[in-house]
Amino acid sequence: MQSESARMSSAAEARYRIDAPNSKPRSVKVIALDHPSERVIEDLAQRKWNNASFFTASAFGGTPLKGDSFAGWLSDLAGRTKNLIEEVNSADLVVMVATAGESAQAASIIGEACSVKRVMTTALVLGGQSISDEALSKTLSHLRPWALMLVIASAEEYIADMLAALRA
Amino acid sequence: MLRKEQNDLLTQTGPGTPMGQMFRLSWQPALLAEELPENECPQVRVKLLGERLLAWRDTQGNYALTDEFCAHRGVSLWFGRNEHNGLRCPYHGWKYDHTGQCTEVPSEPSESGFCQKIKLKSYPLVERGGVLWTYMGPPEKQPPLPEWEFAMVPGSHSFMSKRLQESNWLQAMEGGIDSSHVSFLHSGELNSDPLFKGSKGNTYNMADMKPVFEVVESPGGLYIGARRNAENGNYYWRVTQYVMPAFTMIPPRADHPVHGHFWVPIDDENCWAWSFDYKVTRPLSEKERKAMEAGQGIHVAYVPGTYIPTANKTNDYLVDRKAQKEGRTYSGVFGIAMQDASLQESMGPIVDRTKENLVSTDNGIIMARHRLLRALKTMEKGDTPPGIVAEHQRVRSAAVVLPPDKHFKDAAKEALVVQTGKEHVTV
Ligand code: FES
Ligand SMILES: [Fe+2]
Repeated sequence: MQSESARMSSAAEARYRIDAPNSKPRSVKVIALDHPSERVIEDLAQRKWNNASFFTASAFGGTPLKGDSFAGWLSDLAGRTKNLIEEVNSADLVVMVATAGESAQAASIIGEACSVKRVMTTALVLGGQSISDEALSKTLSHLRPWALMLVIASAEEYIADMLAALRA
Repeated sequence: MLRKEQNDLLTQTGPGTPMGQMFRLSWQPALLAEELPENECPQVRVKLLGERLLAWRDTQGNYALTDEFCAHRGVSLWFGRNEHNGLRCPYHGWKYDHTGQCTEVPSEPSESGFCQKIKLKSYPLVERGGVLWTYMGPPEKQPPLPEWEFAMVPGSHSFMSKRLQESNWLQAMEGGIDSSHVSFLHSGELNSDPLFKGSKGNTYNMADMKPVFEVVESPGGLYIGARRNAENGNYYWRVTQYVMPAFTMIPPRADHPVHGHFWVPIDDENCWAWSFDYKVTRPLSEKERKAMEAGQGIHVAYVPGTYIPTANKTNDYLVDRKAQKEGRTYSGVFGIAMQDASLQESMGPIVDRTKENLVSTDNGIIMARHRLLRALKTMEKGDTPPGIVAEHQRVRSAAVVLPPDKHFKDAAKEALVVQTGKEHVTV
């Protein structure tokens, strides 16, 4: 008699894997932290996604002062202001896109909001190849405290691949 | 997830497939040198990348890797006679030399020169570091021999084993770069396995169950950094190496030998999990070697006379539910290698990646696939894929404690490449 494991791991048995959706759409919010990243995101936003939306925080390099509201701090790609807290609230994952050498300071405010709301964060750094280690380290040091996953990619195309892999 | 076409592209490695071509452009481990221990020893069947071959050694000690089947009427030469300077088919006596050239067709007058018209496909087979390597690509693109560090240290410093894994190569390889499973699946072994226990890093591993990851492209593939909290606000980093297409190297622990793998397709539903262990500046101790031979660490014990693990799918991997309940092993399966293999084989021969739900911590896997797909595209245009030049092979994994503002790729730059005469950087 064949063992159960041997039988069930065969190609013949693999055909019986239930063919029904095993997940619900996830909401992924992609936020550009600087102007160069914004251009990359604008391209991405043209494509078809399940539930990904695209924003920019590039206009707001600095952190709002204490007591200031977050309202108006974030904007969509058409330039309409968006409420950061509301967007984070409805997100399953927040992806921050930064360009190596840019300040990435906006990460702290987004990260803070995500951490309060317990939303997973991922940071993608582009262009790390063409820049000095020091400049890259600086960008990273702003992102690191706020990104539970940090990816340094050489190809812009990686963002699209990652979003597709995550079913965004 | 991957789309079906992408999954097919990455998992199919037979002749004529793009992924198969990438494997064929670099030297692959074909068999252990111990499998062909002496001249005229028994020949061994080898299936690689969906091609059935025969490995043998002639009277002069030449290694041969030739088509398994006789050109006459297709008999397997596994039944052949390893005679003076050649392998003779037992059916009608055709004889071949180590290059696959037919040297005798007894039924034809020797003056006719007929045998010169017969030649079996053959590939180079060369020993380095206890491994017999082959190159199955176009001869004009054959690169110099591989320079993986474990194969360059003296034989007494290294140990290599292989085991059959009954799954596609990619799901096996993805296990090799999936650092986030260690704190779960292998939690029982970090403190008990003689080849793992007692490293400072293990306490960081266990103290901080939720590592944070950084995935960085390297010239040959990827660095996957797993960051945990250490003392004084510093970070404990474990950096795994991935070199395309199928080399992975686990970060070191204390003074233990450093280990890693190759995941080499046999066909699309099976692969060889090659597992090496080595030290740079000292021979392996007798105790370490014994433990490796006994199947500890990343190695396995075998069904006698084979490279099939003792715990395998035909005996349900000797799963022990009591030990699982008692927490002695997380999954009920013993041994790091079989914990991985049992789960990867359970996915089916080729896992359906259209059904998976990856999360952010899977970015190492997502990036590895992305880079492979990208490399396939540029290979099509004639570029050499990463992982073939020596520079991409002279890499190391590392375990380091760094201040929080340091990027491991810079701060550990030297630790991530071979430093002749120096051990790995480890905690
Ligand atoms: S939790 Fe990862 S495969 Fe099930
Ligand atoms: Fe594992």
